[in-house]
Amino acid sequence: MVDVSQHDLVPDHSVVDEDDLEAVLTEYEIKKTDLPKIKRTDKALPDDAEVGDVVRIVRDSRTTDEAVVYRLVVE
Amino acid sequence: MTAHDVSADIEAVVEDTELPRRLKDEVYSTIEERGVGVDDADRIAKAVETRYLDTRVDPLDPVGTVSAQSIGEPGTQMTMNTFHYAGVAEIDVTQGLPRLIELVDARKTPDTPMMTVHLDEEYATDRERAHEVVWKIEATRILALGDISTNVADMLVEIDLNEDTLLERWPTVNDTDAIAEEIAETIESNLGVSTRQAGTLIEFGPEEPSYRDLLQLVEELREIVFKGIEEITRVVIRKEETDNGEEFVLYTEGSDFGEVLDIEGVDASRTTCNNIHEIYRELGVEAARETLINETMNTLEEQGLDDVNVRHLMLVADIMTNEGTIESIGRHGISGSKDSVLARAAFEVTVNHLLDAAIHGEVDELDGVTENVIVGKPIKLGTGDVNLRMGTTQD
Repeated sequence: MVDVSQHDLVPDHSVVDEDDLEAVLTEYEIKKTDLPKIKRTDKALPDDAEVGDVVRIVRDSRTTDEAVVYRLVVE
Repeated sequence: MTAHDVSADIEAVVEDTELPRRLKDEVYSTIEERGVGVDDADRIAKAVETRYLDTRVDPLDPVGTVSAQSIGEPGTQMTMNTFHYAGVAEIDVTQGLPRLIELVDARKTPDTPMMTVHLDEEYATDRERAHEVVWKIEATRILALGDISTNVADMLVEIDLNEDTLLERWPTVNDTDAIAEEIAETIESNLGVSTRQAGTLIEFGPEEPSYRDLLQLVEELREIVFKGIEEITRVVIRKEETDNGEEFVLYTEGSDFGEVLDIEGVDASRTTCNNIHEIYRELGVEAARETLINETMNTLEEQGLDDVNVRHLMLVADIMTNEGTIESIGRHGISGSKDSVLARAAFEVTVNHLLDAAIHGEVDELDGVTENVIVGKPIKLGTGDVNLRMGTTQD
């Protein structure tokens, strides 16, 4: 099986813990469900991600060095 | 901590600004090149910072509309129909407007699917070994291997395999008989007939003598894939310059991203494909988003429209991948799933949307732009979203 995370097109995905998540949500004044989504079956998801978790994605940005985005894991 | 050769003071001055890393680096290299002093460096950094802060998007700016216009206008200058050639030798790739439409419509399969296959180091530098991978990818059918003839008198299909081709396409096997045997087995398992094989000659026929069955067998024989991946009709091998020397890169007509990644010798970290759905399936939404941006940008660049800012394309890709899957722009995708009835009706198939909304008793909150334009209210963007109120006390 190919290791998906090794591919150049796949940025780093990691599960965000409760405290960090709280900080992010208050910073942007949003609810968890307002975040962009990612499917539970997504190949790039870390193994320990479950529905309802939020993953932090660190992209190599075209406009700055790195862009951090968050996606909510959904069914 | 910069790689540039500037004094600590200058570094402190530049680091003090709100600029992103990339701009800071550019400021450093300019300062280094011109050899300016600390005071001038401070002024440069401040000026760049002011300009940077000025060019940021203001709150309530209609970024979506601006993106739509910025992609739409150059779109009018694109060729309506281009086939043939896309910077890649001899491979037909859909380009221009048709390709752009295909991308934003998120078609299940592109008109001309293709892959760019990079190879692992040992394969990428050696032409022989690169060819090994080529034959693992390109679909080999019987017509490429030898001549077929039908012997009507004995009701037999006769295949005369070409030895040179066999050796070329099975570079790891040296014995043509062994290869012919493998081919005969493939035929048996696919067509359910028993074959007779002697050297590079293979013959077989229908169970009951029947002219129709005989022709049927020949038809089916042509479809069998003996080696390689069914979808891939052709592979072109090209030598390309890289940062450290040269390497062979394969371009394929047809695509099967998942299969190719598993093939030995293929570099699974750089190989790409122009079908965003295949990328999505194998690598996830984030990779699909990247590919969308790359493909749209390349399509525009190919037509000399590279002055479209990537940010617009990034916005489009963000919206298309927002739900965790790939959604198309348009009636069946983003525009069709808007909350507002009026916004949907304004886009396409007006009557259907209004009728359905009436039947289901939908309510329009008049939150968006389109709805408010329709009812003649100010839109909630820019100054339209700001309310002024007169104070009640005097002082």
